[in-house]
Amino acid sequence: MRYDILICGIGGQGAISLGTILKLAAIRDGIGVVGAERRGGAQREGVVTSNVRYYPHNPNNTSAPISGLIPAGGADMMIAMEPLEALRQIRYLNESSVVIINNRPLMPVHVRIGDFSYPSLDEIYARIKEATPLVHIFDIDELSLAYFHSLRQVNTISLGLAYALGNLPVSKTAIIDTLTELLKNSKDAIDAFARGCETAKCS
Amino acid sequence: MKELARNAPGKMILAMGNDAIVRGGLEAGIGYFSTYPGTPASEIGEGYAALLDEFPHLHAEFSVNEHVAAHGALGASWAGVRAMTTMKHVGMNVAAEVLHFAAYTGVKAGLVVIIGSDPGATSSTSEQDDRWYSLHTHLPILEPSTIQEAKDFTVRAFEISERYNLPVILNAPSKLCHNIGSLILGALPKRFVGTGGGRFDRNPSRYINLFAGSVANHKKAMEHKEHLRADIPSLSLNQVFKGSGSTGFISSSVNFSYLKESLSLLDIDAPIMKLGITHPLNADEIAAFAGKLTRLFVVEDLEGFLEFQIKALLYEHNVLISIEGKNIFPPYGELDVDTITIALAKALEKPLPPSMERALTLEKKLTAGIPPRQGSFCIGCPHRATVYSIVKATDRSAIFAGDIGCYTLSSLPPFRAFDWVTCMNCGVGIGQGMRQVIGDEPIVAYVGDSTFFHSGIPGLINAVQQNADMVLVILDNKWVAMTGHQPSPTTESSPRGEKFSPVDLKLLLKSVGVRYVRTANPFNIKATISTIKDALCEKGGVRVIIAEAECALQNERRKKYEPSPYERYHQIEPDICQKCNECYVQLGCPAIRKSGEGDAFYYYIEEALCVNCGACRDLCPNTAISLVEIRRGKAAS
Ligand code: SF4
Ligand code: SF4
Repeated sequence: MRYDILICGIGGQGAISLGTILKLAAIRDGIGVVGAERRGGAQREGVVTSNVRYYPHNPNNTSAPISGLIPAGGADMMIAMEPLEALRQIRYLNESSVVIINNRPLMPVHVRIGDFSYPSLDEIYARIKEATPLVHIFDIDELSLAYFHSLRQVNTISLGLAYALGNLPVSKTAIIDTLTELLKNSKDAIDAFARGCETAKCS
Repeated sequence: MKELARNAPGKMILAMGNDAIVRGGLEAGIGYFSTYPGTPASEIGEGYAALLDEFPHLHAEFSVNEHVAAHGALGASWAGVRAMTTMKHVGMNVAAEVLHFAAYTGVKAGLVVIIGSDPGATSSTSEQDDRWYSLHTHLPILEPSTIQEAKDFTVRAFEISERYNLPVILNAPSKLCHNIGSLILGALPKRFVGTGGGRFDRNPSRYINLFAGSVANHKKAMEHKEHLRADIPSLSLNQVFKGSGSTGFISSSVNFSYLKESLSLLDIDAPIMKLGITHPLNADEIAAFAGKLTRLFVVEDLEGFLEFQIKALLYEHNVLISIEGKNIFPPYGELDVDTITIALAKALEKPLPPSMERALTLEKKLTAGIPPRQGSFCIGCPHRATVYSIVKATDRSAIFAGDIGCYTLSSLPPFRAFDWVTCMNCGVGIGQGMRQVIGDEPIVAYVGDSTFFHSGIPGLINAVQQNADMVLVILDNKWVAMTGHQPSPTTESSPRGEKFSPVDLKLLLKSVGVRYVRTANPFNIKATISTIKDALCEKGGVRVIIAEAECALQNERRKKYEPSPYERYHQIEPDICQKCNECYVQLGCPAIRKSGEGDAFYYYIEEALCVNCGACRDLCPNTAISLVEIRRGKAAS
């Protein structure tokens, strides 16, 4: 099955590692996966995106039948670690894209210095809903702080939300095994993944 | 990463383009690796550095610059050891002198030069296309299009290098280096030749390029290239994909996969020729493909290197069809699926796919006027504190001679304290020349530790010899931080405690004749401002300030190995804070945040993010920021 996920956020929020977890899970499940990372020039605070593109694996032809970039209007799911960044990447959405947004605005430098104003959250969400009605908003920072006393699990909670709200072709087992192998602190990460799944189901 | 070391042929792993190149080098049995780190190819060096335990024969180094790195690799190749050197595209300008000789002398063991190119300049100051160099270096160029090919072509590059006696370039754009996908491993060699295994055989006619000997070697280089050109069809690096109609496409690299996706979105079935080797080209092979067409599109990034070659050779072959490329694709910036689809839809009068049409219309309507988001220094970065102090000490009435490194972010708001940035060491270099012709305006030049050692020492010596009146701030953060923390010549120890042999920077400055050297701890903002002011007051000659503090990210890693007995945090006292904006706007630390609406807002420090650098505390004019220290396990403050 083909399934395209665009993850967007700000440098340092873990968008890239979330993409890596989703890709490693596919390798475990024997599903084809490809996807490019795009990072702005900076270590911090710049725009970051990660493309995750699943496709049916063909053992006789190992080269990916698709490119590493999701075309405009092609994302089945968007995981946005920040509201304005979701809006910035709206070109990837279509009318059935599932969008998950972390309801925590982070002020870009241009807003701090007063060159621009940050649109109201209502305005941002109304605009995104013009692209797709399937918009899910959570305060993921708050969830991470409440359960884990740090912002470290924001991306693993997002992973749980994505798993519960989308049609990801990767299995839960593959995700959990990936977390276990990849992370030192995998207990918290697996917990966070479960919290994300639960939160989505209760919402 | 360790998966890259496993001898498990057939195993599928997840790899980044850069990892695939690392693995390719291992499968080819390299014994020598050198690099000056540069995005997008930096992870290749890190890959080898992490595998030295598994491959003890391998010499892998972070060299002082690309010129030295390329020379080192050539030396290893002449001694019969397969060698790889990697650099970013602009590094080729620094290595170019070495590589212009490399085709003349040829190689003994394979020599492969990996160039990380950056169309779109997402992490560079230029988007130059290094492929044009090959028109005069005569070095063949391979261009892998997928993660798998990144590995497979690396192995092939070594074979071709040895068979045709030429170093081979592997061109890896950021969209390959940072693409991630599945990679099937091949076998590792049974025996590796590396440290101690090489041997140099004297051969003056080959290695001494002088007078008539140089002309003879030039002739040989051309012959080697022609030999390769003739053999290209038998190397199966290029591939033709059949399709219908008389319009066809030639592409290479990742753009080939973008093109395929674009054609399928536009529902076009057309013949495509994918070039794996883009220099030299075999005219018969290209003519055989193009001769059946009436219209040919060349799909590539930047200024049309392939189009230029193809037009010339098809003209010579009397294949006079319409050849398009840079008339419909921009010669700057990075091509992606959307750009290619839009340009082809227009040229071929096809409708855009409805989902793309809708998405692009919505984007145009809904994202107009939203705030841009540019990068910023990391939380607790010493450079942020240093540039803040430079702005305060000069009151912006100085010429800011910028340079390349993390501190290039000084050019962005809120600081905007760079007047130029071009290539490595443009700060001191351009500044000292300008000094000779302008009036009294002070010049403050920036340079990072790694950039300074890369090629700044000659510029500084020149400035000293010419008695250029300027202040040079060396932002010594002990690492090549921008590319992911490779060691620099001033690195003292790694976060894990591994020791290095740092250059004595002060002694070096003294020995080249700098008489005025001061050091500053950037986080002590007030003291740093007065150090800079003092240097500005002193007249004549080069005054150097070493702003010395370790990169914040490395320092944080260090704390994990050396935990402090104190729990520390910074806080803003809302009753004392005058909302003067010095910390939130002028310093702009992202850990300082604003809460509340309208006039009722207040500033606070996000404890989960603050690394307690102390800069904001030192600069707050109202002493509203304090450090709280609690001994772990006790309640007292
Ligand atoms: S610098 Fe001090 S007074 Fe000014 S906004 Fe920051 S905390 Fe408040
Ligand atoms: S001490 Fe102040 S400037 Fe330093 S990291 Fe914390 S909030 Fe930022």
